Amino acid sequence: MTRHGGHRSPLRPIGVLLLQLFINGLQLGAIYALTAVGFALIFGSTKVFHVAHGAAFTLAGYLFWWSITALKWHWTAGIVLAILAVVAFGMFMERWIYRPIQRHEGAFFTVFIASFGTQIMVQNLVGMVFGRGFETVTVELSRAVEIAPGLFVAPIAGVAIVVAAALFTGLHFFLARTQAGTGLRALADNPDLVRIFGLEPTRLAQVAFALGSALVVPAAALTAVSQGINPGIGAHIMLISLAATIVGGIGSLKGAACGGMLLGLAESLAVWKLDPQWSEAVTFIILFVFIIFRPAGFLGRAVGSK
Amino acid sequence: MKLQRLAGALLGMAVTCLICTAPAIAQDIRFGANLPMSGPNAEYGELFSSAAAIAVEHANADKMLSKKLVMLIEDSQATPQGGVVAMNKLVSVEKVPYVLSAFTGVSKAIAPVGDKAHVVSVNGGGIGPDLAELGDYFWNVIPLVNLEVLALAPYLVKERGWKKIALLYVDDPAGEAIKKELDIHVPKNGGTMVSSLQVPRASQQFSGVAAKVRESQPDAVFIASFGTQQAQIVKQLRDNGVKQQLVGYSAFSSPTVTQLPEARGALFPTQTINWEGDAVSQRLARDWKAKKNKDPNAYVANYYNAVMVFVKLAQALEKSGQPITGENLLKQRKATGTFDVVGGKMQFLPNGTVSMPLGIYEIDGGAGKLVKGNIVVK
Repeated sequence: MTRHGGHRSPLRPIGVLLLQLFINGLQLGAIYALTAVGFALIFGSTKVFHVAHGAAFTLAGYLFWWSITALKWHWTAGIVLAILAVVAFGMFMERWIYRPIQRHEGAFFTVFIASFGTQIMVQNLVGMVFGRGFETVTVELSRAVEIAPGLFVAPIAGVAIVVAAALFTGLHFFLARTQAGTGLRALADNPDLVRIFGLEPTRLAQVAFALGSALVVPAAALTAVSQGINPGIGAHIMLISLAATIVGGIGSLKGAACGGMLLGLAESLAVWKLDPQWSEAVTFIILFVFIIFRPAGFLGRAVGSK
Repeated sequence: MKLQRLAGALLGMAVTCLICTAPAIAQDIRFGANLPMSGPNAEYGELFSSAAAIAVEHANADKMLSKKLVMLIEDSQATPQGGVVAMNKLVSVEKVPYVLSAFTGVSKAIAPVGDKAHVVSVNGGGIGPDLAELGDYFWNVIPLVNLEVLALAPYLVKERGWKKIALLYVDDPAGEAIKKELDIHVPKNGGTMVSSLQVPRASQQFSGVAAKVRESQPDAVFIASFGTQQAQIVKQLRDNGVKQQLVGYSAFSSPTVTQLPEARGALFPTQTINWEGDAVSQRLARDWKAKKNKDPNAYVANYYNAVMVFVKLAQALEKSGQPITGENLLKQRKATGTFDVVGGKMQFLPNGTVSMPLGIYEIDGGAGKLVKGNIVVK
């Protein structure tokens, strides 16, 4: 066991730690942004407050972990399994939980309670099936290497940022250039008008849930590798992602992505001067500031990708 | 009319239930278990309740009591609020005389409820030193953390030469208690606490904390957390370039840490138990391995012992024709010298705690390698 880690860098005392926290924040922000964008896409298009998005995160994380550690599958197969499972979960929720409630004049709050209940149920089911302990996928990618004196960066940080950027670009083109994407944006603006143009809002809602749910898979897989997962992790990530959606501006996908990145950076950089005890509180301080001074968020508009 | 029929049906069902359950209740000797069965610390609840369940099985198989022994489990969620709700149910509705408890914060919250109702609470997992001051009706079958730190601090500083200690502690009574003890005993042995970083209980992200730990350039890093969080801390410290020796307290003996590859080589103090030493220990070790396919740890012994203490006290009360109440259990405990339990003889001190020989273990992927044994601290 090595007894002394690191040595004094010429950049100290300010530079290295700050840079380290900034890089950590980018990695964390990418994970929050991916989850927040999925939630924002679903909420922006369908107006369903899908708290069970956190359950999709938990499911994706555990299926990815299980396929690699127990089934010994290649990680790409694990990703495919997780995508199939959470897309099915999202579409099931829309078709068999939310739609019947909404059909029977179910209020926004009823939908929220149904979603919240599902979140708890999935958390307990995952605990019963996979155990209630901590699980992680151990890969070399999560091991930080010292790239400069005192500055440790894990390759997974780069993977998280590149994956998030690639997916957001892909999503932007999907929403801007495809018929389904245009339909989703129209659904967010005016569902009645969508019907007049011959599109089916329920089918578009299914697309929104499928796409939004699939977006949690890379975030969950990255979390399983870099932080580890437990059955309760979805609720925690969802809370932060929800804050990111509000900070970014409800209805704006770019806003949700930026909000997630901002909160990830803030959570990490807070440790620079404050006790780690305050790192998560900073997230909610930012949320309160936005709610009071800019309730629409910094890119608040009716629909995403604009 | 419909409403009347519905009420009638419900009444009928209630009467049927009462008829079905009443004889079972009358025939049982019951005790409660107020343990975290859901949430991020549910792993502990599963571990503790499984150990207690084996003790119940053994007591019933050996017909140690005149009636069937039954354990009623309530979920504390490892939170003080959850613990109090569960305790109120066990005390006021189930009317049990004896309750198993866990976690420092939960134990401190439920102790007044037990004290008021004269119901004994027994802790086998919480380690805060103030658990020794919760009154006559609160007992501990686990050495508290002041004893663990007393055993560990000289070993780290004097024997291993790790003089600069960094601490990561959870904002919980257990974390606070460990900080207080380390702040006293590390300097007393010639060491220094180079940093003390408090983390929220729900926090799951520690890469920034790892950077702060590296910044303080310690020789060893003490992690005072529990549940899945302590495993997350270990993994993220290692992944983020913290190469120094990792140290914990007895909570490190939980499988979630001992089976983590990143935790290999980490040290922790806990009771020294010779699982081959006597027939009782051998029986528990054998049955545990058969059920769980794992080696037992000190928590398994503690919760098994906690149930066996109840059984032995209840046995004595039955023999003398006294009812099994909290008051009588307390009187009987004070009258009993020692208990033959897993790990040897257990004797309660006047403040309801126990003193046991401690050992320092190194995580090796299994139950842990003993690096220093039979440390007696008082």
